[in-house]
Amino acid sequence: MTVCTRREFMKAGARLAALLCLSPAAAPKVAEALSQLSQGNAPLLWLQAQSCSGCSVSLLNSDHPTPADLLTGYISLVFHSTLSTATGHVSMEVLNTSIAQGGYILVVEGSVPLKMPEACVVGGEPVTTQILRAAQGATAIVAVGTCAASGGIPAAENNPTGAIGVPEFLESNQIAKPIISIPGCPAHPDWIVGTLVHVLEFGIPELDDQYRPRVFYGRRIHDQCPRFADYEREKFARNYGDEGCLFKLGCVGPTTHADCTTRLWNAGTNCCINAGAPCIGCTSKDFAREAKFAFYRMNEKM
Amino acid sequence: MSKGIVIDPITRIEGHLSISIDVASHQIVQAHSKGEMFRGFEVILKGRNPLDAQQITQRICGVCPVSHGMASILAQDQAYGIHLPENGRLLRNLILGANYIQSHIIHFYHLAALDFVDIAAIAQYQGQDPALQDLKSWLRAQGKTQALYPAAPFLPRYEGAYLQDTELNLIAIRHYLEALEMRALAQKMGALFSGKMPHVASLVPGGVTEKVTAQNIGAYRSMLHKLRAFIDHHYLPDVVAVAKAFPDYFRIGRGPANFMAYGVFPESNQDDRRLFPSGVLINGQLGDFDPMLITEDPTHAFYQGADELAPTRGETKPWPKKEGAYTWLKAPRYGGQVVEVGPLARMLVAYHRDQPASVRPLIDRLLGELNLTTGDLMSTMGRHAARALECKVVADRCAEWVDALRPGEPSCSAFTIPAKAVGVGITEAPRGALGHWLEIDNGKVDRYQCVVPTTWNCSPRDRRDQPGAVEQALVGTPIADEKNPIEATRVVRSFDPCIACAVH
Repeated sequence: MTVCTRREFMKAGARLAALLCLSPAAAPKVAEALSQLSQGNAPLLWLQAQSCSGCSVSLLNSDHPTPADLLTGYISLVFHSTLSTATGHVSMEVLNTSIAQGGYILVVEGSVPLKMPEACVVGGEPVTTQILRAAQGATAIVAVGTCAASGGIPAAENNPTGAIGVPEFLESNQIAKPIISIPGCPAHPDWIVGTLVHVLEFGIPELDDQYRPRVFYGRRIHDQCPRFADYEREKFARNYGDEGCLFKLGCVGPTTHADCTTRLWNAGTNCCINAGAPCIGCTSKDFAREAKFAFYRMNEKM
Repeated sequence: MSKGIVIDPITRIEGHLSISIDVASHQIVQAHSKGEMFRGFEVILKGRNPLDAQQITQRICGVCPVSHGMASILAQDQAYGIHLPENGRLLRNLILGANYIQSHIIHFYHLAALDFVDIAAIAQYQGQDPALQDLKSWLRAQGKTQALYPAAPFLPRYEGAYLQDTELNLIAIRHYLEALEMRALAQKMGALFSGKMPHVASLVPGGVTEKVTAQNIGAYRSMLHKLRAFIDHHYLPDVVAVAKAFPDYFRIGRGPANFMAYGVFPESNQDDRRLFPSGVLINGQLGDFDPMLITEDPTHAFYQGADELAPTRGETKPWPKKEGAYTWLKAPRYGGQVVEVGPLARMLVAYHRDQPASVRPLIDRLLGELNLTTGDLMSTMGRHAARALECKVVADRCAEWVDALRPGEPSCSAFTIPAKAVGVGITEAPRGALGHWLEIDNGKVDRYQCVVPTTWNCSPRDRRDQPGAVEQALVGTPIADEKNPIEATRVVRSFDPCIACAVH
């Protein structure tokens, strides 16, 4: 539950320092960041655009910190449509007053319907306008999930709403704020929590050319794949459920940047490839984008 | 003279919902339900490899992705003519079962309960429970900060008649915290066989890609054991306690009182038996479910077209500036009738069919304890009770399915995708009846239509001006204070709306 004492903050800080691959010496600073957060010094506004709430659900799957720790001890979650007790006009007051005061981290989940603003409306306001309004007062903007990072599935071929990602949307509106993308469909809870703590204590983490923190997205799935030896020996799965490298079933581990195979999902339980399913590249900016690149290539002749 | 009130956004549901109510003499006389978000999944799926559909449709909803994946692979199983191995059927049920458990727990504790439970009661806590002590000191510390909204996201809120019983409030708050971990555990349990949650990897036409091992059987059993204890000893008693404290809500939020269930959790690879049977209850009469009677009507929705179409002929052509439209949800109808779907519909159909055998005694015992009749279940509180009972039935049955798994035996069958085929995936999401209609031409998706639980429940009016289920349920609801219409949100949330699903 809630981390309140200094010792508990230190323990939690050490866990997060390990999560972020920081040296143990960084733990006290991380602990301090957590402590400030719980005092309400670093409020967080979480807006949902064209989202499925999957990244919010994933955030609640956070193991250490636990979801309860997260809500009371780690983040001062001023507004979150799925979790806030506030509803209706009360929730809009919270949102509007917070925006007027400024000084928060803005998280956006979901893509932005650029060409059809009516396709996402919150409190009577198109989310396109709402995001621009909220971005003004933000100290940093975090695009959580592939939809927010680069459009995701709503932006796939045929894209009926003209959906795009948040960084592209902000840039086209000349909003110059620090921005971080945490793609993934959904984003892994460690990626979200780890990035937020880094922003608060150490500033913006080292990012790649797609605004992704290198600590989580620096390496390819293929390079860390438990089936890498099968690939080397050219032992390929031909059908679902087969042993062997999944490349010929469509695995895009060789071009996908993430640490799923070493970090694992749901508190170290499993991951797509370990469950016999090819990587579908859900952290990539071209995830699902073109119909001609199907997720699965059954029995491809190669 | 009535007064219009807009509740926008309805938080603590999935997605973007706005509710407009007209109140006269402290009672709702009319309601409109408005789904405010559209992405166009059916448009996006056209022209894709059909195998993409199970991954893409899962992204319709992050709360119940497994149900969409399941509907999609059931449609594909049928289109490809696949027979599942026994492990494949069982693993699918175990993954879907885990998703039901997490969805029902999060709905009661984290989405709905804060309309009844007084979270501020934590300030009065005097006991030794470390979690509650921590929460109390956090709340105190929050009060001393400069934060604009201390104790967010728990406060502020609508003012209203919350639960008075301090002890009960404290128990519920303790269980709110525990339920956060329990729902994560249910996700973890599903991930044992699905790769990850949400948005699972292992569901495929022909079965499940994950293998059955003694290790993952043992892990699933162990996690399920904890979840069943939580459901039996916390979730069910908490729902009963809240129900006893708010008996009026067995009379508020009745809805159309017509119900439909497609049936879910296949019990055999040889026939169509399912744990929860299909059926419709129209005017109290039980009938067989016939998928041919489903239509969708776009009259008041932001789409082109004016015809009531069967899903096999369904179209999705967005028209956001359409006159007379007020929502992105189409209006699905069953033989022209408004029906409610969800756990209450499943439990009532199961009760009438007396299948599975576990349902009727559970409902009768609950009704006896609360001194109610089955008719009283058609209400706000009845939906919560039905959901909790269903959670128990599913969890108990999962314990038997996991025992039936056979390590070393296959969990999926091979298949080929024909150039031309059709398939229908009829199943149930935690929120109710779910169907995917698939048409393949030239090996690609030619038409894909989803008719989704919340599309039924949060449906707008149709061409005959029949309001949808939630719109009907709201009428008659008392509103004590127009500035804090908490009673309306209690009714809406009892349906567990998911707007990302409903519009897709």
